Amino acid sequence: MIPEICAMGLHFRLDGFRLVYLCIAVLMWTVSGVFSLEYMAHYKKKRRYYLFFWATFIATAGVFLSADFYTTFIFFEIMSFTSYVWVAFDERKESLRAAETYLAVAVIGGMVMLMGLFLLDNLFGTLAFDELGTEAGKILRGELGIRQQACALGSPRTQLYVASGLLLFGFGAKAGCFPLHIWLPKAHPVAPAPASALLSGILTKAGVFGVIVVSCVMLGTSGEWGMLVACLGLVTMFLGGLLALFSINLKRTLACSSVSQIGFILTGIGMSCLLRYAGKDIGLAVEGTFLHMVNHSLFKLVLFLCAAAVFMNLHQLDLNDIRGFGRKKPMLLFCYLMGALGISGVPLWSGYISKTLIHESIVEYAEAVNEAGPAAGQLMAGPAFWRGAEWLFLLSGGLTVAYMLKLFFVLFIDIHPTRQKEFDDMSGSYMRPLSGFVLALPSVIILALGVIASSKMDRLAYLGREFFRWEGQGSLEAYFSPGNLSGGMISLGIGMVLYSLVVRLWMMDKGSGRYVDRWPAWMDLEEVLYRPAIRLMVVISLVACRILEHMTDGLILAARKTTHRQIPSVPSTAGKGKVYGKRRRWHWMRPSWTTQFLLLSVGRLRRSGRLVEESFSYGLMLVCIGLCLTLGYLLLAFLRG
Amino acid sequence: MSDMILAVPVLLPILGGAGILIRQLRAKEKEAGRQLAFIAEGLVLINSLVIFWLLGNKMGGSLVLFRLFGNLTVRFKLDLMGGVFAGMIAFLWPLATLYAWEYMIHEERKRTFFAYYVMTYGVTSGIALAGNLVTMYLCYEMLTLVTFPLVLYPMTKEAKTASRRYLYYSIGGAAFAFIGLVFVLSFSATGNTDFLPGGILNLSLAQERKNLLLFVYLLAFFGFGVKAALFPLHRWLPRAAVAPTPVTALLHAVAVVKSGAFAILRLTYFCFGVSFLRGTWVQGVVITAALVTIVFGSTMAVREIHWKRRLAYSTISNLSYILFGAAVMTPLGLTAALSHMLIHAFMKICSFFCAGAVMHQTGKTYVYELDGLGRRMPLTFGCLTVASLSLMGMPLLGGFISKWNLAQAAFGAMGMTGSGTLSDKIISGLLCAGVAVILYSALMTGIYMMTVIVRAYFPRREQPAEETEGGGEGFAASLDPNWMMLFPLVVFAVMIILLGMCPAPVMAVLTAIGGEAG
Repeated sequence: MIPEICAMGLHFRLDGFRLVYLCIAVLMWTVSGVFSLEYMAHYKKKRRYYLFFWATFIATAGVFLSADFYTTFIFFEIMSFTSYVWVAFDERKESLRAAETYLAVAVIGGMVMLMGLFLLDNLFGTLAFDELGTEAGKILRGELGIRQQACALGSPRTQLYVASGLLLFGFGAKAGCFPLHIWLPKAHPVAPAPASALLSGILTKAGVFGVIVVSCVMLGTSGEWGMLVACLGLVTMFLGGLLALFSINLKRTLACSSVSQIGFILTGIGMSCLLRYAGKDIGLAVEGTFLHMVNHSLFKLVLFLCAAAVFMNLHQLDLNDIRGFGRKKPMLLFCYLMGALGISGVPLWSGYISKTLIHESIVEYAEAVNEAGPAAGQLMAGPAFWRGAEWLFLLSGGLTVAYMLKLFFVLFIDIHPTRQKEFDDMSGSYMRPLSGFVLALPSVIILALGVIASSKMDRLAYLGREFFRWEGQGSLEAYFSPGNLSGGMISLGIGMVLYSLVVRLWMMDKGSGRYVDRWPAWMDLEEVLYRPAIRLMVVISLVACRILEHMTDGLILAARKTTHRQIPSVPSTAGKGKVYGKRRRWHWMRPSWTTQFLLLSVGRLRRSGRLVEESFSYGLMLVCIGLCLTLGYLLLAFLRG
Repeated sequence: MSDMILAVPVLLPILGGAGILIRQLRAKEKEAGRQLAFIAEGLVLINSLVIFWLLGNKMGGSLVLFRLFGNLTVRFKLDLMGGVFAGMIAFLWPLATLYAWEYMIHEERKRTFFAYYVMTYGVTSGIALAGNLVTMYLCYEMLTLVTFPLVLYPMTKEAKTASRRYLYYSIGGAAFAFIGLVFVLSFSATGNTDFLPGGILNLSLAQERKNLLLFVYLLAFFGFGVKAALFPLHRWLPRAAVAPTPVTALLHAVAVVKSGAFAILRLTYFCFGVSFLRGTWVQGVVITAALVTIVFGSTMAVREIHWKRRLAYSTISNLSYILFGAAVMTPLGLTAALSHMLIHAFMKICSFFCAGAVMHQTGKTYVYELDGLGRRMPLTFGCLTVASLSLMGMPLLGGFISKWNLAQAAFGAMGMTGSGTLSDKIISGLLCAGVAVILYSALMTGIYMMTVIVRAYFPRREQPAEETEGGGEGFAASLDPNWMMLFPLVVFAVMIILLGMCPAPVMAVLTAIGGEAG
């Protein structure tokens, strides 16, 4: 803890979860930093890139180490601003537009979050996670402290929910949660690829970090909250997967995939709240969430760096232009496969473990609902809902498989109609050995984590215990039992079917074999909803302000026209010459000084006459007003008594 | 009469400025400008040193300069709150004069400029050190008169309109303030208008005429609110941006407008007293006025494309943060208001000076002309970035601290008024809306300040920068102004960061003031 910096002091803590994430952050920054050496070699303004690269590292580490919301918020904001520079880095039009979106989401999210913090601080008088946890628990149980009282926003319970909702908005915006995911698909394709890896792999996790604190630490026992987060998660993972499937841009696909995977993580968080609410052991959900966070960071690191290797050589991201680039490049194939198999949840890779855990947590909760039977009123939603949720989960898993297959076919199976030879010739030189090494490193980790799952992954997940407020013991022992395998297999099957149906039959043009963007252009939340809404708001307020702006001036003008009329000054000779242009020929007849004097005095006389007149009438008017007022007052006094 | 020295910070600049006006300079025309600037800088520096000495040694001292008649005295007193304001202007004025020295070097009529610039210093310190409402009113009127020539200074048609408008608004406002003065005097418990923490009204007398007094408070609030650019009396401020930048920066972002806000704080916390005002209909009205101004100012700033006028609108909205703090009417509210007064001074003067530096070096005055200047003037725009982020309320910088305080104060007051009567409910609703409004305004600030910065650093070009830039970074000559303009900028930027990183000592003082007056 560092006292007194920034008025409230910064509080840090290191526990298992934070340690793991710190390690991941270091790993990711090192890997993408080394990779940047090659990627950025041809860019100018490298200095700026590296400055903000490391500044963001510090800020991100600050977020993950923070032990109160104040500290989190401070580093969170710094992180948003420094990473903004990444997105705007190459200064093209679309980059600037994407950066604008990114900044807008970050700033609005930050503001909303700040509002939530104000409320929380007012409610509890503290922002430290531990104390917030105990205090919020008290409120949820209905015990009130001295500070808590109803105010304009309603009872303390409502206030707590409002504050948490605002925080969820703020953190969710960064995490890429629906409907605030809009920045991800825009920002990733334009940022330098190593930076995209970080944006997607770990900056979104900073948002998730906040959501975890709100959900597990503060509102861990609230079923309604768990329901909200779980629903958001389900919607996010499905829509993200759908977007990714339809995208025909390499990095955009990966970005949408991030949205989808964040949806998985949010679902896990929601399930942990729900399980706790139902009185079950939350182990499954917690382990699943935590491991999926870790896994997803690693997958996205690998996958985006693969995309970086492609972009570095071709400067293209459109799937049609990069077809066949990966052929005869075993190193790239290996790394891509590790990432893709992992993220698709194929058994033996680490993604399978974490997805299975989250899946099992849904199943467990559905069982709990079934057990409760007709008395399920107190548990959230009916059995049918949970069956639907389970299938949605499997379907999203299938979507993951499908879009990963799509990328795999594009990169490694398809043949570019014209440049294939050129691509094949690059196989020796497309990447420096150093870059290749750092790319292989996380790939190997993914494989290792998956194969020796039960011993290592459990231990890893166990580190998250304290942070997630998980007291129980239980966890899934048999990852490869038939029941669990079947879930993974169903997903894989759905994925294959989706790929062959949607991608092969619908998205590919029959004749040329090109990929066509089938996603209707108007279905873009940002263009359809957000930008017009903001524009409308600005226009309306501007019109209103314009009208108001002239109000007081109008008053003064009115006064000058009526009660405070000023006497027009004697027209000057210069003016006369202009106005009465025709008389100019008389100008040679300059009046002598006597006539001049006479003229002037006549003018003066006339002027003073009018002055008297004006002031007299003005005085009379004031007297009249005064008389009227007096009369009115007298009348009032008379009437009153 | 050892406290006689209290009058020095007021009288020295006024007399000195008058001296500059009267005295013929023997030197040649070319030398004269330099000499003038030197004299002005010297005067201001000495005066600031005196103020700092006073702050260290004469805290709590008071002095009756002379008696107008009866119990109307011109009285100076150095208390904590006045000390904060005096210290703030004493810090800013020498730096601003240094800036003006360089900025005005090519201008005509330097004599008028520097004379009134110095005189304004004296009058503003008069407001800071005023010990009673009479003195403050006197200085307030004088402030209008001595700053009038500064607005008129460019002598263009625009400037004439602007200065005339300034005069109309200010004189009108002072008339309302005068009404307040008369009523405070007649309902005062002490028989005079000396400021006392917690108010000086004779409460038993005042309770009988409660509504009348509340109405008078409202009048006086809006009267002093003219200088604080309270909506709908703000119109003079954006127009006054025609004045030279040192004037707009120091006077129309700090000294004059903060005098208005300061006067309102005095009026609220030291004359009427918050215990009398809190929870009444008038509190609702003033909070509403402040909130409307905040929204209005920041929205107008977004649409304004003249850079200095945009900053002026931003000032309007930020001044009402202070008034919002005042209208919260709790100790925390006063603390928050003062902290925003202090921090906003640094942020806004820094942004204005950057705008001025750009005008001085390149002659560009519109936002859309700034493309790519960020690279050409690295230090200037570096400082601007700090100031803008701070205005937005970015953590680690000063602006965040004051916004945090304001929101704290608003929420804190909401708890206090939870007694359940209708007006209490309305007020706590308004306070809650206030926090939302502050955040809305922060968002707008983001838009209007960040567009400037983004434009400066990331110019809108069709091609990627690599292809068009050609030479690279080092080739273009730096356009940063010389040290006399840069030094103040850098000092302000550093102060913003310092105030953001370790505000504890300052906040301790401000909290003490709040505790005393609430």
